[in-house]
Amino acid sequence: MVSEFVFATVQYDSGDWDSAPLVPANIIDAVARYTSIPVRPSGVNVPLASPEIFGYPFAYLTGHLPVRFSEQERANLREFVERGGFLFIDDHNHDIDGAFHKTATEEIARTIEPLRELPNDHPLYRAFFTFEDGPPTTSHELNGWGDNLVHEHLLAVERADRIAVLYSNKDYSSEWSYHPDNKRFLSLDNTRFGVNIVVYALTH
Amino acid sequence: MRLRTNEWRRRAELTCRLAAFALLGWALFLSLRPVRELALNALVAAEELPESLRRWAIGGAPDSVHVRLDSVPDAAWRDWLVALRRAGTAVGWSGTLAPLAIAVEPVNAPAGGAQLLIAGAVGDSVAVRDAIGPLDTLRLSGAGGALRVSALAEPAQATLGPVRALAVSGDSLVPGAVLVLGTAGWEARYVIAALEESGWRVDARLTIGPGISVRRGVPGTVDTARYVAVIAIDSAGAGESRRLVSFARAGGGLVLSGIAAALPALREVAPGQSGARVQPAVVAFTAEAPRRALGFFPVSRPRRDAVALEMRAGVTAVAARREGLGRVVQVGYDESWRWRMQGGERGMEAHRQWWSSLVAGAALKRATQRDLPGIEIAAAAPRVAVVAALGDAVPPLQATTRLPGRTGPHWWILVASVLLLLLEWTSRRLRGAR
Repeated sequence: MVSEFVFATVQYDSGDWDSAPLVPANIIDAVARYTSIPVRPSGVNVPLASPEIFGYPFAYLTGHLPVRFSEQERANLREFVERGGFLFIDDHNHDIDGAFHKTATEEIARTIEPLRELPNDHPLYRAFFTFEDGPPTTSHELNGWGDNLVHEHLLAVERADRIAVLYSNKDYSSEWSYHPDNKRFLSLDNTRFGVNIVVYALTH
Repeated sequence: MRLRTNEWRRRAELTCRLAAFALLGWALFLSLRPVRELALNALVAAEELPESLRRWAIGGAPDSVHVRLDSVPDAAWRDWLVALRRAGTAVGWSGTLAPLAIAVEPVNAPAGGAQLLIAGAVGDSVAVRDAIGPLDTLRLSGAGGALRVSALAEPAQATLGPVRALAVSGDSLVPGAVLVLGTAGWEARYVIAALEESGWRVDARLTIGPGISVRRGVPGTVDTARYVAVIAIDSAGAGESRRLVSFARAGGGLVLSGIAAALPALREVAPGQSGARVQPAVVAFTAEAPRRALGFFPVSRPRRDAVALEMRAGVTAVAARREGLGRVVQVGYDESWRWRMQGGERGMEAHRQWWSSLVAGAALKRATQRDLPGIEIAAAAPRVAVVAALGDAVPPLQATTRLPGRTGPHWWILVASVLLLLLEWTSRRLRGAR
């Protein structure tokens, strides 16, 4: 038996942490489909303020609404990152002037350190599939909502040459929010980048 | 012709006369020379030893010598006593020379450092220092005392009263690289992190799909020239099992974690079989026994030459054995990453140290010989060196002395002088001279 990968969605007191309930199943499906990494068939929701968070070194955080962490949430997040956890944050608004982006990046800066642009030749983009141009564009970036921009880079906080916090304005939460069975209607599986994120977290 | 014979005769008479006077002069010198007592049994203190040894070397050694040692004699004086004994003088010693020994071992870890091992009597307080200054004071238990230092300015020194033991490490270890083989997962990920944070250079091949692996570093062929240890995290290294066996037999350290020991080819070198998984004994991690919160595959049916390194609830969790020139360590734990993440404040550091020490214990030690900076090996255990040189301590003998004979060996000088003078006188009278 090898310890399974568990996709954990972070619950936080402020905002709408559960705005993308279909993403975990879709990423779990992609990891199981393309890799031999043992993966638990269903994800878990874990409160950031709870010590349970340390049992899930990969954590996904999203939402539309302003984010304000409690002191306990901040302490746990700081500890989570220091011990080697990987936090993937996706702005469900894909809006750099939006409430989520402003408050979430501010919280990360306050709790850990400011996010910085991740270069598009980072190993993340070759961890499993190769993305020559950096983060794949989503169909939601130009859908008339949000800032109507194609965001060239992801943001990150790094620790000892590895990504500890990965931050996206590209709204992968909308892009990957569909039932996994419907992948067969896509000419190119758009969750492949999700596999890269998981493989990177497990190997770096 | 007659004149020539008389000339020779006169010269001979003169020679006899001069020789007789020379002998008488020598006898006068011997009689006026100061007379020293010769010791039959000499009793000396350690501080008197250098002067006594010099005197005995010039004026003759006594029949037996007894040295009172309250401090350790220098190696030169000790060796001189050994030479004296070999020359026929009985040499013994007594005194309160405390047993004390020190050894320095380099730590087989990338961070380096040294471990000082002190042996002595139980309860003794030994001051430990290096060339720069004091390090610590150790109270010795039945197992002696040990002190680990991150850096050491040699020589290391242990002092107990007047006894001082000195030691340097005979070699220095060159930490090599470690290869991690496993499935991409938290266990492999955090074992690599722990080792890298401890300073080990780590290469890794992490399987993420059939025939697909992620490489960390520049993983190469498994051989002892490249790696000091290989860690098989799980069954992902199955394809290299035969090579791993050869690696261990050639002197490499092989760490079999989780179910890796169950791989058919690795069973022949594993310390035991991999039993049914034991669930964690407790839910929460504690500082005293953190691994009780981890499940593990017990080492069942351990081989005769296997050594249990860690027991849990009556079964073996970690065991090791020698295989050829190398070592194989079987670690039953398969989710040690939880210790790092959920183990509280000390968890991360403890997990890191535990994995680093496991690998160090298994890893091939690459030693390089060093030139010892003028410290003799015997200095590490002064009392042992004295016993090895002079034997065990014995009760002191009563010192006795005698005077050397004044006339005994010199009577022939007078006889020879008289005979020479008589010969000269007879010759002279026979030829008619006065």
